[in-house]
Amino acid sequence: MADRKPLYLMTPALVWLSLFMVIPCLLILALAFFRRGIYGGIEYDFTFENIALVFDPLYAGIFIKSAIIAGQAALIASVVGYAAAYAIAAMPKSRQPLLLFLAILPFWSNYLVRTYAWIVLLNREGLIVSVARALGYNQELPSLLYTETAVIVGLVYNYLPFVILACYAPLARMNAEITEASRDLGAGGWTTFRRITLPMTVPGIATGFVFVFVLSIGNFVTPALLGGGQFQMIGNLVYAQFLTANDWPFGAALSMALIAIMMGLLTLQTFATERASGGRVRDADG
Amino acid sequence: MTSALLSIRNVEKHFNKYHAVDGISLDIRENEFFALLGPSGSGKTTLLRMLAGFETPTVGTILLDGKDVSRIPPNHRPINLMFQSYALFPHMTVAQNIAYGLEMEKLPRAEIKSRVEEMMEMVQLPHLAGRKPDQLSGGQRQRVALARSLAKRPRVLLLDEPLGALDKKLRGEMQLELKRIQHQFGITFIVVTHDQEEALVMADRIAILRDGKLLQHGTPLEIYEYPQTRFAADFIGVMNFFPARLVDGALRAADGSAFRATVPDTIGAGEEVLAAVRPERLHLGAGETENRLTGTVRAMAYHGLDLQVHLDTPLSPQPVMLRLTADAAEGHALSIGDTITAGWSARDTRVFAG
Amino acid sequence: MGNRAPLPLMLMILAAVFAFLYLPISVLFALSFNEGGMPTAWSGFSVKWYYSLFANKDITHAALNTLIVAVISTILAAILGTLLAIGVDIRRRKGRFLETIIFAPMIIPDIVLAIALLSFFSLLDVTMGLHTIIVSHVVFNLAFVCSVVRARLKGFDWSIVEASTDLGAPILVTLRRVVIPVLMPAVVAGSLLAFTLSVDEFIIAFFTAGAGRASITLPMQIFSMIRFGVTPEINALSAIVMTLSVVMLALAQRINRGRLPGQ
Repeated sequence: MADRKPLYLMTPALVWLSLFMVIPCLLILALAFFRRGIYGGIEYDFTFENIALVFDPLYAGIFIKSAIIAGQAALIASVVGYAAAYAIAAMPKSRQPLLLFLAILPFWSNYLVRTYAWIVLLNREGLIVSVARALGYNQELPSLLYTETAVIVGLVYNYLPFVILACYAPLARMNAEITEASRDLGAGGWTTFRRITLPMTVPGIATGFVFVFVLSIGNFVTPALLGGGQFQMIGNLVYAQFLTANDWPFGAALSMALIAIMMGLLTLQTFATERASGGRVRDADG
Repeated sequence: MTSALLSIRNVEKHFNKYHAVDGISLDIRENEFFALLGPSGSGKTTLLRMLAGFETPTVGTILLDGKDVSRIPPNHRPINLMFQSYALFPHMTVAQNIAYGLEMEKLPRAEIKSRVEEMMEMVQLPHLAGRKPDQLSGGQRQRVALARSLAKRPRVLLLDEPLGALDKKLRGEMQLELKRIQHQFGITFIVVTHDQEEALVMADRIAILRDGKLLQHGTPLEIYEYPQTRFAADFIGVMNFFPARLVDGALRAADGSAFRATVPDTIGAGEEVLAAVRPERLHLGAGETENRLTGTVRAMAYHGLDLQVHLDTPLSPQPVMLRLTADAAEGHALSIGDTITAGWSARDTRVFAG
Repeated sequence: MGNRAPLPLMLMILAAVFAFLYLPISVLFALSFNEGGMPTAWSGFSVKWYYSLFANKDITHAALNTLIVAVISTILAAILGTLLAIGVDIRRRKGRFLETIIFAPMIIPDIVLAIALLSFFSLLDVTMGLHTIIVSHVVFNLAFVCSVVRARLKGFDWSIVEASTDLGAPILVTLRRVVIPVLMPAVVAGSLLAFTLSVDEFIIAFFTAGAGRASITLPMQIFSMIRFGVTPEINALSAIVMTLSVVMLALAQRINRGRLPGQ
């Protein structure tokens, strides 16, 4: 009887997840191998056309472009986020929870609103331009909004709190005696950081990087709002297949490619984490 | 007097209003195995961290070979510290851990390699060179930490509770091992410990610290046989105390019996004092010694080497403890409830202010 | 961390990062009180945009929809997620498959889950509306509640349950008298966070809401306001939505004894 207990507790949730997540996702997987009907419906005969179309130079180009943008966003967010996490971990222990709370607070406010805030800032009549004018910069400024840079800034802004959180965990867990040992053995501050702290906290950075990358490459709101209409990323492409182009099988194939990229990266990250950590850090018991 | 290698001069360390180290002066000699002994909060670890360079004295100086090193950062001091947690780098192998400090000195590759091998040989771990710390046992980790801090051939090696994380049996082995290695390398060791037995076994000299102050320092024999304070007497080994009063040059206990002892000059007539004697100095029967007591056997504990007997006496509310050797115990068939007499000599009696 | 990082540099980094994080939001807040409503010029303090917000039928309608979706999906998720967490914790054997299923809703890109559900519902010929949004929101909300409750259960001593059973309590009484009181802070905190997620969620709602304006939610309303003509009302709306999230998070943090969500 004791062994059956967990099962009936878990059943309702597992049924829900199977019905409204697993089956729909399998459906999408199946959909990717069907043909698009003439009037936008679905014809149930098996084909690789949709998968092949993903690798068509036109669409592969969008994939690469999305990956480059997501990669830049993830890189910037990782560097800035790590620095912030490091700075928080360097503050007095009693202050750290509050600082961390403040760092993740924006993450919990509405995504659309946070993105909209950047429209206000980057607008042709926006704050940044006004400030530049007020400072006496009278030249015609290049448009800040509806650019690749705007999209990257938006992505970094939205996901930075997550990276800070991911990087803070291993930094806070580091035993103070480890860095002291490095100093004691003759290493200066920078060498200690490069050879001890950084390698030991790589898993946090990897987690942060992968999540920002994955969330960015499939993003559709930020490119739509900050990139303007003319700017396509995979998310927008998927959106279009379902809501305007009405090519569901191709949209499904694109989503599967997205999932494949995500799973590949997560596997890589797990692998990197296992390699880098080399075991748990023992806490000092004094 | 031989000149000191490391000289601690009137050092104080304040954390806000709290004085963790409160005016300590000590000289530590070349090739010495020195123990800083004290309970937690005695300031021993803070003192050690000042020697290593992780803390700066608020007052006073630390001289190494006559030069002031108090303000030199840890990475520029020829003093190394073996951390209590060992602080091995978890992402590096045993060999990489040991090589780390040598790489910081920018030694040629070949020399680093040969020194790492030599160190692993010394701690008897050459077969584990490629392992990561989490694949080692506690004892092996301890050896790696030792090898890593010794590889740089420091002038002084500091060890923070080096055996604290090991089980009892291993601790006994490592005590001797540490002494062997210290002797072999001829490096000054300063060990911080709260374990008096460890200090007695390993150290050439011991300093007893309490509340940031130095109570007493000397050889293990001096410390054990001639403790200068009640705290030191109680902290090191086991001591029987009897409250007494100094009357006409003799000690008079609560029940009226008198003891003979050498009384320090600082104690005046009529003062309340504590007379003290080690359990192993008590022997059965009155014999020809100056002092004696009578009591009832309350409990006995057999320890193999000796028999510990607890006596209820009118002298003190605490039971008096005797340690009888196996031979002595065999001669007297003791059982609980027996009334016995024990004696000890005036020489073995210590007197402390009450 | 014992490394002595240069303090001025650390403070500078913190100041810069926090400025980056909070400046844009603060600007929105300030603008929501701007009389003229223009983002470029300050023309005096006013709360008139808040009034006009509440007079806007589209917005109040969307807000009501959002509330219905968030409340119902949170209640369902709280029940399902808590039971799941307890079940997983009791079952000592850690199944990789099980872990993946539970973790999946939090890492699958929203857009993928959104189109999957859209395809699923339309294939089954389900008329979409608030009910389909609710069903969909439960998917990620229950995963979220589950993760918060599981964090709380880490280190929970199940032998007290056995003790309760041993003392003669039936399993449901044990659950009510022993397990639930221990878990309540985590359940409440998880639910508050799930509620926030649901209120803010846009993409899945957008795809599963069906046609027409009947079941439009607040984020969908915000999206169309941003895209097709910004009115100053949106600043006020943003300020309200953000304040709501912040209050929820702070509350959740307090209830769950300082344990940070998402860790």
